[in-house]
Amino acid sequence: MKKQNLSLKEIFLEDERFRISYYFSLEKQILSIKKVGLLNPPLVALRDKQFILVSGWKRVLACIKLSLFSIPVFVLEEEDDLKSFLVAFYENLATREFSLLEKAEILRRLKKFGEDEKSIVKGYLPLLDIPPTVSNLESFLAFSGLEPEVKKIIHQKSIPFSSVRMLVGFTTQERKLLLPLLFPAGQNKFKGILEDLKEISKRNDISPKKILSSKEIQDIMGSEKLSPLQKSDSVRLILRKKRYPALSLRKESFDSLLKKLRLPKTVEVKPSPFFEEENFSVNFSFGNSEELQANLLKLQELSSRKEFSAIFKFK
Amino acid sequence: MRKSEYFPQKVYVEKNSLDFPLTKRILKNVGPVPSEVIDEPQEVLEDIKASKDAIGEGKKYLLISRQKGKFVKPCPCTPGYLGCNYFILNIDLNCPLDCSYCILQHYLTNPLLTVHVNLDDLWRQLDIFLNKKKHRTIRIGTGELGDSLALDHLTENTADLVSYFRKKRNAIFELKTKTVNIKNILKIEPAPNIVIAWSLNSLKIAQEEEKDAPSVEERIDAARRVSDKGFRIAFHFDPIIRHPDWEQGYKEVIKKLLASVDSARIAWISLGSFRFPPSLKSIIEERFPRTKIIYDELIKGKDGKLRYFKPLRLELYKKIIGFIKEWGDEKIPLYFCMESEDVWREAMGWIPKGEENLEAYLSSPLG
Ligand code: SF4
Repeated sequence: MKKQNLSLKEIFLEDERFRISYYFSLEKQILSIKKVGLLNPPLVALRDKQFILVSGWKRVLACIKLSLFSIPVFVLEEEDDLKSFLVAFYENLATREFSLLEKAEILRRLKKFGEDEKSIVKGYLPLLDIPPTVSNLESFLAFSGLEPEVKKIIHQKSIPFSSVRMLVGFTTQERKLLLPLLFPAGQNKFKGILEDLKEISKRNDISPKKILSSKEIQDIMGSEKLSPLQKSDSVRLILRKKRYPALSLRKESFDSLLKKLRLPKTVEVKPSPFFEEENFSVNFSFGNSEELQANLLKLQELSSRKEFSAIFKFK
Repeated sequence: MRKSEYFPQKVYVEKNSLDFPLTKRILKNVGPVPSEVIDEPQEVLEDIKASKDAIGEGKKYLLISRQKGKFVKPCPCTPGYLGCNYFILNIDLNCPLDCSYCILQHYLTNPLLTVHVNLDDLWRQLDIFLNKKKHRTIRIGTGELGDSLALDHLTENTADLVSYFRKKRNAIFELKTKTVNIKNILKIEPAPNIVIAWSLNSLKIAQEEEKDAPSVEERIDAARRVSDKGFRIAFHFDPIIRHPDWEQGYKEVIKKLLASVDSARIAWISLGSFRFPPSLKSIIEERFPRTKIIYDELIKGKDGKLRYFKPLRLELYKKIIGFIKEWGDEKIPLYFCMESEDVWREAMGWIPKGEENLEAYLSSPLG
């Protein structure tokens, strides 16, 4: 490996065979180069008489933004792609954490450059903190093959692997339908939508596409009154009801009973989680003894009402 | 379905387990199956774990090893639900059958079928354990971390176990199986405190979810033969699984069962609805992509396990109990595995008051 100065124009950036990092912000890198210069030269290799980048995309792109003319680089004399990639891999492994997407790209490159499946599972998955199983490798490889816009959302929202794994199980078309629902959702809702959709589809033998294309859901998605977040929440609710019909029905009748009882706003009556236990709980808040007494009186009055005993049918 | 007896593709023997009589017996009984002596199983395990289906792959190999910990453990009953105060005997680990819902897929870290051969330690530990519990009757069995009879043609352990327990009158010893591997059982003299039990399910569930297990009819026939020999028998409808036409499915099996065996010989029937730790779900999805059983209305119970929403469980239990009462003797002891007091009250009509009450109920046919 030798160090030399290279004009930025001489680096052929269209060849991304070694690239594993996407969707990063250059701001801090630009600031760092401005303040102290490029201390850690990128790694390049010569292929078909052209210099291509092995590692250091962020640094090179920041230098281009800064309109630098030339930069110092290390030139790898290795001609084998796998060996060259491993130099960059181990260099990065020692100095930083990889994101999920980067892990997926690393595994794809290892496979592409000829590393056999068993060696990847046994040798590299543990290095990337991934449990060493073939199915994990397969899921990561499938992830690296997803559409760029899907990969971008996953990366930006730091979606966990369990959700990514579900997402790769859908078709390209289904993912396209899902994107507007997933984009406004946080990590938990993201997972909930995917999980419910997948499970309804498997249980009822209906494709996710058919479920998502139902009139009920399309009406929501086409609504001009609802915000993207409201649309996402409403569809999630529909999916929940389809996924857990008996539980949803019970919840609805419990809520409508509470409505009839007209509890004071400060008092909340709750069943046990999933109505699994026989107990109910009452919560109320108060700021002084008068409020406390008023709540207690209201509760006492409520508990003696005939309609209130209907609550115990929910045991 | 595997009609024939199970034979591993290869036997691994840990060096320090080589000289035990049980090792020699197994090596003789596996016949031409190749075997290899290993210092420790780490390397074999790593290889298996790197395969596409480590759990399925592990079932192809038999590891002969020593139990370094305790052979006897309390059954891990679940917090928040009533336990049945059962003890488990860990001689064999894992099972050659491959039920989609099998909890061992999540529970065992070692995917190899494993037989512990240091039986002298087992007898010693059992003597101490039973002596400590001599003032009460305990129920103990081998069928929790594997199938009690699936390897019996190789280990012939049932003969030793039955001859040990027949003398221990404060213990009810249960062998629990889905197989029809009863050749050795039929050679043994029965004893009143020995119970041979079968796990049963609807024909559809058995066919679709219990890979490599004999059919329900074959199991019932094996139970009848064992009962005719004079053994007490028991049945476990566990896991009870909802599926299209489940009511008809369970009705059919219960009718068949109670027409084939004498109710008076049934020591107990247990009922347990489908439940599992959430982490098992992804394993089932991956290993059995066609199954639908994990997509029913399962909620997180008080113990963190997924189980059917309570009204659905009650519906299952009430129907099944009704079928048993309709075709069997009213006196057949029934119990729930891991259920709450309110489910007991509503479906059984009574609640055991503490473990000893349940023990007395289940051991009452002993007289
Ligand atoms: S028979 Fe029991 S131990 Fe064996 S695979 Fe089935 S559930 Fe698991």
